[in-house]
Amino acid sequence: MKIIVCIKQVPSTNEVKLDPETKTIIRDGRQSVINPFDTYAMEEAVRLKEKLGGTVCALSMGIPAVERLLREAMSRGVDSALLLSDRAFAGADTLATAYTLSLGVRHLGDFDLILCGRMAIDGDTAQIGPELAEDLGIPQVTNVTAILEARKGELLCAKATDQGTQQVRVKLPALLTVAKDINMPRMASIRGVKQSLQAPLEVLSAADVQADPQRIGLKGSPTQVVRTFTPEKTVECVWLEGDTAQQAGQLAKVLLEKTQRGEDAAWQA
Amino acid sequence: MAGMTVDKDKCVGCGLCASTCPQNAISLAGGKAAISEECVACGLCLDACRLGAIRRESGQRQQGLEQYRGILVFAEQHQGHLEDVTLELLCKAKELQRDLDCKICAVVPGRQGSHLAQTLIGHGADTVYVCPAEELDEPLEQQAADLVEQAIRRFQPEIVLFGATELGRSLAPRVAARLHTGLTADCTVLEIDREKRLLQQTRPAFGGNLMATIVCPDHRPQMATVRPGVFAKGEPEARQGEVEALPAPACQPAIQLVANQIAQRSAGIADAPVIVAVGKGIGSQKNIQYAQQLADRLGGQVGASRPLVDAGWAQYSMQVGQTGHTVAPKLYIACGISGAIQHLAGMAGAQTVVAINTDPDAPIFRVAHYAVVGDCVEVLKQLLAQLPEAPVPGGNI
Amino acid sequence: MEQNLIRPMTAEYEEYLRDESRSVGHGESISFPKSTQQIQAVLKQLQASGTPVTLQGSRTGLTAAAVPDGGHVMNLSRMDRVLGCRQDDQGAFYLTVQPGVLLAELRKKIRNKNFDTTGWDEASLRAYTAFCRAPEQFFTPDPTETSASLGGMVNCNASGARSLYYGSVRPYVSRLKMVLADGDTLTIRRGEHFAKERQGALRTDSGRLIQIPLPTYQMPHTKNASGYYAADDMDLIDLFIGADGTLGVTAEIEIRLVPLPPIVWGVTAFFDREEKALRYVRLIRGEVLEEGQQPFVLRPVSAEFFNGDALEILRRQKRENSAFAQIHDIPARYQAAIYVELHGEQEEEVLARLLELGRAITMAGGDEGDTWVARDQSDLDRLMFFRHAIPECVNMLIDKRKQKDKTITKLGTDMAVPDSQLEEVMALYNRMLQEQGLESAIWGHIGNNHLHVNILPNDGEEYKKGQQLYRQWAAYVTEKGGAVSAEHGVGKLKAGFLLVMYGPEHIRQMRRLKLAFDPECRLNRGNLFAAEEEAK
Repeated sequence: MKIIVCIKQVPSTNEVKLDPETKTIIRDGRQSVINPFDTYAMEEAVRLKEKLGGTVCALSMGIPAVERLLREAMSRGVDSALLLSDRAFAGADTLATAYTLSLGVRHLGDFDLILCGRMAIDGDTAQIGPELAEDLGIPQVTNVTAILEARKGELLCAKATDQGTQQVRVKLPALLTVAKDINMPRMASIRGVKQSLQAPLEVLSAADVQADPQRIGLKGSPTQVVRTFTPEKTVECVWLEGDTAQQAGQLAKVLLEKTQRGEDAAWQA
Repeated sequence: MAGMTVDKDKCVGCGLCASTCPQNAISLAGGKAAISEECVACGLCLDACRLGAIRRESGQRQQGLEQYRGILVFAEQHQGHLEDVTLELLCKAKELQRDLDCKICAVVPGRQGSHLAQTLIGHGADTVYVCPAEELDEPLEQQAADLVEQAIRRFQPEIVLFGATELGRSLAPRVAARLHTGLTADCTVLEIDREKRLLQQTRPAFGGNLMATIVCPDHRPQMATVRPGVFAKGEPEARQGEVEALPAPACQPAIQLVANQIAQRSAGIADAPVIVAVGKGIGSQKNIQYAQQLADRLGGQVGASRPLVDAGWAQYSMQVGQTGHTVAPKLYIACGISGAIQHLAGMAGAQTVVAINTDPDAPIFRVAHYAVVGDCVEVLKQLLAQLPEAPVPGGNI
Repeated sequence: MEQNLIRPMTAEYEEYLRDESRSVGHGESISFPKSTQQIQAVLKQLQASGTPVTLQGSRTGLTAAAVPDGGHVMNLSRMDRVLGCRQDDQGAFYLTVQPGVLLAELRKKIRNKNFDTTGWDEASLRAYTAFCRAPEQFFTPDPTETSASLGGMVNCNASGARSLYYGSVRPYVSRLKMVLADGDTLTIRRGEHFAKERQGALRTDSGRLIQIPLPTYQMPHTKNASGYYAADDMDLIDLFIGADGTLGVTAEIEIRLVPLPPIVWGVTAFFDREEKALRYVRLIRGEVLEEGQQPFVLRPVSAEFFNGDALEILRRQKRENSAFAQIHDIPARYQAAIYVELHGEQEEEVLARLLELGRAITMAGGDEGDTWVARDQSDLDRLMFFRHAIPECVNMLIDKRKQKDKTITKLGTDMAVPDSQLEEVMALYNRMLQEQGLESAIWGHIGNNHLHVNILPNDGEEYKKGQQLYRQWAAYVTEKGGAVSAEHGVGKLKAGFLLVMYGPEHIRQMRRLKLAFDPECRLNRGNLFAAEEEAK
């Protein structure tokens, strides 16, 4: 089975630090990491390979420094890696990124399965997987919690839905995005680290994959960020006053409101 | 880098942009700002530069944008029941409609569609596209994408809205990729820039630590998904609308639905949306029943602090805290819990925290959104008397 | 106002009668002061009645130092503010914290550069701005229990895994403000007040001069948290670090931060036999084991050990308890493990050391494939969780057994020996545990030959056997030039061992020192000094 895993580099933290005087964002020298959701996809790919034979190739679009993360992937059972890196790719939104990744997939030739993390922790969009599947004209199953059966040309997957779970049978080639509980990613070993230093890693530019300049990077991105701001977080505590009955009355209102509608859910989820 | 460019004539090398850049992608070379390939085009520097020396390159504009008018809402239904988010989207669409002076349409898959059409019309849809095909009763992305694409081609809306449900988040990007247009996920604010007739889509980024407003100026439709519960659900009105049937999608499904299980609410505290947690302040083991009753009414579970588990009043499986379960419920009600740091660590992910404790200095109040100083047993009793008897409808939080 | 600082010890405060040592005490009243003034007020108020006062932070200690034996409990957990920031001429940053600040919270604040600066003075705010703009800093002591309070850490001279390289809390404490038993305060900065040989003197903030007779013992040349720090011409601030709260209440602590190295990697290596793990420890310390062998230069920041029993306990908990489900499977052939942390400036350089570590594993008889390498924070967190899960599992087992037999409690050692004694002391532990047929688990800071032997008694009988072993080990470790408490402090549970280590005359000298600060012996009664000694 030939499996491709998509990997994104993300900042190691979501915390935004502000300069106490200028109130501007302080740059964080901390290193980027593999998007945690992608590590589950990686592990699932390696497990499938170990069970059925085949190869796992990691695919990413990003700056040259992403090479380090691809080596990290290869220290955990991934066989080879392809990095699409070009200044022309920069500033891509999900549409342009998915298109670029589809060029990488085409460059890699025939494949059976593409695995992606359910979403990236920096963007939380969960769009790349479905957009890539559409660009490649293959079916997708999102939020997969288990691969129940794997055989040539077909997978039986369990996926979580808002209502519960579904089991779906999907013909290959296909793209899956995996949920967090699908497995427990293995740790790298020193042997794995050694192997990753020797493993093949290809870096290709926009020209190498014959990208349409109008569909990549900022030019290929229909969406634009026009404004960013730090939200006013209200952690103010409301002290409910009065006698016990009055307190309970106010609390009852709060509980009803909070259990019927999740206004707060919006940006903490 | 490609995308953001610095006008060397305007730049005075003040460095404001560099200090703003979260990617550390701007340096000052020869007294002028230079943008490296670390740039992700977040646009923060555009605001930071007071001289307008940084510009964003843009791509080609799609032809015939102005022919797109109106708002299309994807109406999600399961087993003949509309998802609440659909009605929330229609309510928001009506608001946007005032700025745009346009029609609102909805597209609903499956054989139940005709039954649901009247509800959709009542909530603001002028036209409802239905497609009463069996394979769309529980739609999979590819067929649903075909249907939405048909509706878009027919109606030519400038805005398409989806609920950010599991299906919506999977379906919307598929449609966006097919139409080569922009999609913004999980919007919390949708507004119209009337001057440019653009949908301004605001969403959290960096795990909610930053908000970003996003537009899609040169492509149509402008697409967005919205989380359930973010917008209010309007009241239905008596109004007329059209129902139009679309042909069933022709695509050969590569995916087959083998089983569809509606989950039972799990019994443990790990995934419970509401946790009523009790600590030593509950006084005695028999008082835990009041917490249990409250949890039952709210569709939640009872949790316990470590001293209570240590005392044998509660099972270990109920323990919240560093040595017990780490929980992140929507609502956490701490009854008689002082809030030892180990406990606070275990419930730090809770969205709304209600604390009831006799000691106004108890550390639990520092993380509480709602605080009640009082005996938790008395407050619980009063609360049970004042809350409706039946479980909260739907319990869909 | 002061009146109601002191509250009666009612049932709702029951949890304040115990700590992580699992022992339970008794007390009559409790207070939660929020400021130095409130500490003073409470102490003064209790002075009239001569009430003894037991100090508490977050009660994570393992020696029952915070468990009251009657009298008043002063819980400092609500003094949890960071009071200021300072930068010295060399550019190093210092933070002034209250004793109730928790290590985990402090770390988070430092990492996110996010402090509540309300009430800070101009100089502090200036230093804070510099701190925010500077590369990331960290506070190096890292006891496994991150909900430890800073006050507690100072009072037991806590250390943790990284002390192999960075040392214990001691050198990172640059200023202390102590409230003495009578309510007077004493402020002392590192580098300002030294003893003359074994005699010191300090002036309190109200101007009273205290003569300090220092004990004459030689402290062991190992990691040490056993009794008062005493050395010729010592800096007198060191007296209050590791004093188990017997000299005064630590009301303010200034700590020194160091820049966080850009590269922090961790590696757990598994071995099928304990001997191989011990060989590996010697190799990474740079010892030469074979003729012609070049010593390794690995600069490990920590070297942590887990024996086969500890791994087995983890395997069992992982099966039985969902809270530990996130631990990776530990194959049955793994019978010992060593965790090593590497810090560095350049990735290539640390990578080279990582590969050398692999070579050392092979030379010790292990397999490079049997390793878990963490090169980012989330993987490091996993290895930390693994490390922390072992004592947690042991505590849970003890709690379960305690429900059957109330007399048993946790039996965990904290002894360190010099480098040359590592194999011998391990052999001794293993042999004696086997002879007595006791269930146990051994883990700890093997880089410093500092191991926590934990006995898991099934009943009162076995508990007594375990206590017996401990006394024998204390004598053995003392004889070999080691320390009976290397990082947990002495508290109440290990006071007897201290007597073994220093002998009655030195204990009397310690007592004289205590009385110089606390003449009525009201603070943390029972800590350091065993009950029989106390009576004298």
